[in-house]
Amino acid sequence: MAAIELDGVTKRFEDVTAVSDLSLTVEEGEVFGFLGPNGAGKSTTINILLDFVRPTAGAVTVLGHDARAESVAVRERTGVLPEGFDVYDRLTGRAHVEFAIDSKEVDDDPDDVLDRVGLADAADRQAGGYSKGMRQRLALAMALVGDPDLLVLDEPSSGLDPAGAKEMREIVLEEAERGTTVFFSSHILEQVEAVCDRVGILRDGELVAVDSIDGLREATDADATLSVSVGDPVDDEILAAVGNLDGVQSVDRDGDGALRVACDSDAKTRVVTELEDRGVAVTDFTTEEASLEDLFLAYTEGGGVAEADAVETAGGTSSGSAAEDVEVRQ
Amino acid sequence: MSWQAVARKEFRDAIRSRWLHGSTLFFALFLGGASALFFGVLLPPANRQVSNLFGFFANLGVFSFSFPALLALVLGFIALSTSYGSITEERETGSIKLLLSLPNSRLDVVVGKLLGRSTVIVAALLVGFLATFVALVATGTRLQLGAFVPQVALTAILGVAFVSIGLSLSALADSNREATLATMGLYFVFAVLWGSIAEGIPKLLNYAAEQVGMSVADLTRVQLGVFLKYVNPLKTYETLAAGLYYEPARARLLSTTFGERAVLGSTLQESMPFYFTDWFLFLLLLAWIAVPAAIGYWAFEREDL
Repeated sequence: MAAIELDGVTKRFEDVTAVSDLSLTVEEGEVFGFLGPNGAGKSTTINILLDFVRPTAGAVTVLGHDARAESVAVRERTGVLPEGFDVYDRLTGRAHVEFAIDSKEVDDDPDDVLDRVGLADAADRQAGGYSKGMRQRLALAMALVGDPDLLVLDEPSSGLDPAGAKEMREIVLEEAERGTTVFFSSHILEQVEAVCDRVGILRDGELVAVDSIDGLREATDADATLSVSVGDPVDDEILAAVGNLDGVQSVDRDGDGALRVACDSDAKTRVVTELEDRGVAVTDFTTEEASLEDLFLAYTEGGGVAEADAVETAGGTSSGSAAEDVEVRQ
Repeated sequence: MSWQAVARKEFRDAIRSRWLHGSTLFFALFLGGASALFFGVLLPPANRQVSNLFGFFANLGVFSFSFPALLALVLGFIALSTSYGSITEERETGSIKLLLSLPNSRLDVVVGKLLGRSTVIVAALLVGFLATFVALVATGTRLQLGAFVPQVALTAILGVAFVSIGLSLSALADSNREATLATMGLYFVFAVLWGSIAEGIPKLLNYAAEQVGMSVADLTRVQLGVFLKYVNPLKTYETLAAGLYYEPARARLLSTTFGERAVLGSTLQESMPFYFTDWFLFLLLLAWIAVPAAIGYWAFEREDL
């Protein structure tokens, strides 16, 4: 059974369409990452799942319940870490967790839950004095109360330091191992990469891609950047010839002694051969696998794949000072 | 249903607010202090009975004054202040997202907030009445519990009514600022403008009737005008409180002008119209709890967060 099913969901606010005809299925037990730049409609989608806002059109089912009519039933089995929330300043951390326990009508021990998120020591302090990261942990503690079947986390690591973000990731993975479905939004890619089975990429309210991370990498046409070190400067004619090769998206000069070529994996040999055929001495070359960041930018900006940073094949990388950058696009 | 959870949270939150501590202290000083002053200093021992303060109503025709009316004014203000931000503030800080990400329905939220904040107001009020009780006993005042205890209950109900009114404004408003302004405006209407409006409406009706060649009988006009005055919860409370100490006809003439009294006086003595009876007015006061809360729920249920 699907944990989350969105079918043709549109949400229009007065003059903007926040989400447009969104259809998406998240299976039970899956860790699903919901990616997109700020303002893409991630939070609106999450708010629709929780009945914070009501869709203009479309059907939403969460854990087998209609998200609008049976929202309480949905939230009984869902733990939520909302975005842009705040705590009750005058209530202690423990009182917050007790409120969650009361609302969910379960009998968890508040101290156990607080201990799990690392707030045991601050349990008796008023939450108004908590730092941003502590507030985030507190909300996570409230979300974990009652062993939810679904965790909905909206930008879970905002306000957390790197150690906190890592703990958050570990808790997410622990929950996933227990079979909890996790749906989380983020614009930070390494987190998504670290925990997600599948990702959906949202841009301007539309879902532009849904796949596993490997699947997405394969799906983008340019999945590698080739750095070629050459002995002599390359003239424009040769640059254009390389750019016109099959499977090459772009060629840039990287200083005088190197070229950067964005191309399909199987075009690498053709590029090197072409250069050598034209009398250019290739002294070294490295390929860099397109990172998730590139994919993300490619999808969210609608442009080509930009610079890569994950080095796949090592070699003597050469990078001259970028004095002059000529771009040739196919 | 998790309204209990919401009510408990509201209570625990509000009980720690300095505003409430201040209000409680105020009630204690105001109620206890007034009792001590009247029964301990101003009134001679022979006149020391509860009705001479809590049942003291002076009507000078153009102007009426009573201790219960003063108490109602203060209580209305404090109760409104306790509740008008209960939803807008949660919206503005974002804590409403915590509240509603838990399995609380919007009805749970409205009911829980109404009960939680009402409990707080009633608790503050009871502290004040406790101070009064101490002052009464200490000064050897005749307690008249048969009237005094129901009056405490009526006062508590009035407090809850104003909590409900504030809550509904909070649900209807788009921002805390809007809720603040609406609450101040409404309080001004209740406290100052209502009487003029209530007197104006029958005149307006009569004017309209005259335009089509008819007229509204004097008695009808006065009855309508006086009834409209008592729709104001402050006045509903006041006349009901007066009804605990005096006969209904006299209690109903409490906020009337000399003109109105001349027309209405004998009629009320002969037979009390149902809408002037204690029971009907009591239901009206309860409606001031139920109707605003219902409107608040209706508005809140429809809103996106």
